[in-house]
Amino acid sequence: MSIPSLEFLLGLFLLVAVFHALPSAAWRRILLSCCNLAFVWFTLPNGWSRLALILFALSGYAAGRVLWRRPYSAIFAIYTALLVAVFMVLKKYELISVLLPQRIMEHPIVAVGLSYMLFRQIHFLVDVMQQQIPEFSLGSYLNYQFNLFGFISGPIQRFEDFGGQWRSMQPLLLERHEVLRAYFRIFIGVVKVSAISPYFWDNYQAQRSMFLHPGSLLSLSQVSLLSRFAVVFYGYLVFLYFNFSGYCDIVIAAAALVAIKMPENFDQPYLSRNVSDYWTRFHQSLGFWVRDYLFTPMYKSLATHWSRQAHLLVYPCYLVAFVIAGLWHGNSMNFLVFGLLHGLGICAGKMWENLIIWRSGRKGLKAYMASRTVRFAAIVLTLNFVAFTMLFFPQNVATAMAILHNFGHAIKHRM
Amino acid sequence: MTEAEIRSELQAVFRQVFGDDEITLRDEMTAADIEGWDSMMTINLMIAVEKRFKIRFAAAELANIKAHGQNIGTLIAMIAKKTGAGA
Repeated sequence: MSIPSLEFLLGLFLLVAVFHALPSAAWRRILLSCCNLAFVWFTLPNGWSRLALILFALSGYAAGRVLWRRPYSAIFAIYTALLVAVFMVLKKYELISVLLPQRIMEHPIVAVGLSYMLFRQIHFLVDVMQQQIPEFSLGSYLNYQFNLFGFISGPIQRFEDFGGQWRSMQPLLLERHEVLRAYFRIFIGVVKVSAISPYFWDNYQAQRSMFLHPGSLLSLSQVSLLSRFAVVFYGYLVFLYFNFSGYCDIVIAAAALVAIKMPENFDQPYLSRNVSDYWTRFHQSLGFWVRDYLFTPMYKSLATHWSRQAHLLVYPCYLVAFVIAGLWHGNSMNFLVFGLLHGLGICAGKMWENLIIWRSGRKGLKAYMASRTVRFAAIVLTLNFVAFTMLFFPQNVATAMAILHNFGHAIKHRM
Repeated sequence: MTEAEIRSELQAVFRQVFGDDEITLRDEMTAADIEGWDSMMTINLMIAVEKRFKIRFAAAELANIKAHGQNIGTLIAMIAKKTGAGA
């Protein structure tokens, strides 16, 4: 079942009506549990997929119970290593396909939602181990993992936030204008996903196919060539924004109608002034997860032991965190390149910042950051860098390189 | 250790980590008020705070240090709770 589909929207309107008619929080929890189960059941294509995801989630609950009593980091490390290995097999990662027999990688499991489940599970276990989650039940945990509003593509909600809302299960939107605003946001989301983003996708696909057939480029005028390349270069960026932010508009507003406050996921990402800033504005819940559960523990551990080298150790931490974040997006090598480029972009931004501090001090950095000209130049540079990295997102590395090569060849042909 | 003593110690930590002797902490100050307070500086700061006060922060606590509604006052309260300090 897709999020902007008519079935989903009709089901949502029915759910909201029944939800508000129920007399108690317990009945509302039962209703939402049934809806979560039904949504996951109809979203997953076969019994093996359903079984795999249920066992994946149940193992997290069992590990959580163990860590709640015995908060040992060794238990967490062993479980997480196994969990990531299982995740990579279920998602059929190219990286490990050479290590395992082919028949294991040809399983019938389609792991929809598993990437988000993995990150929610790791966050949950870290917080349980560090005694930040004082209580949880099997029901609250499974509904957290299979919450229909974040199951397919996030946002990645924190268990502490979900747990509190699940316990109280009280309507969030009490004023009529708040409810109307939520329905309007769903409408805007549907328009973004169903009308605007397909337009950009179709344009992007049409122009992209030209750059994969270099012969067709030679007859184009210079202006036509550049404008078509601009569609390929920026098109996916625009498509992704409307598609993903539209999806988030729908699920965040829909969840709010039934007492669940999902985290926001977008804050004008293409106005970011560097790559680090970009990840606090685009897919925010993922950016914060990477910061809090990958970068921070890695850097903190290294900087505690080697405090004098901390200013240098931060760079490998950025690279490792973003390579992992890149690979999390998909099972092929282009996602590794995507993550590596973002890691390098963050490192370059930090080095530049440190250079300014070294030359002009923190006051100099403050004046630099306040300059409107610098801000404009930084936004343009970041936007173009992110657009470049996005060439590696929807296609394999060879195809992305072929597009760049054919564009370069066509430009050279005109000189 | 009283909250006033914690504030004074914390100010020394901030000055050392940010390399700025002019930093004067007030309860209502947030990360936006201190230039260069990014993710990396949060961690450097918390490592120094952990050493100075002999406490430990959980990942979720570190994540919330710069969150909306958090300021120097809430950080001092968190340190006071962890050290068992009186008012």
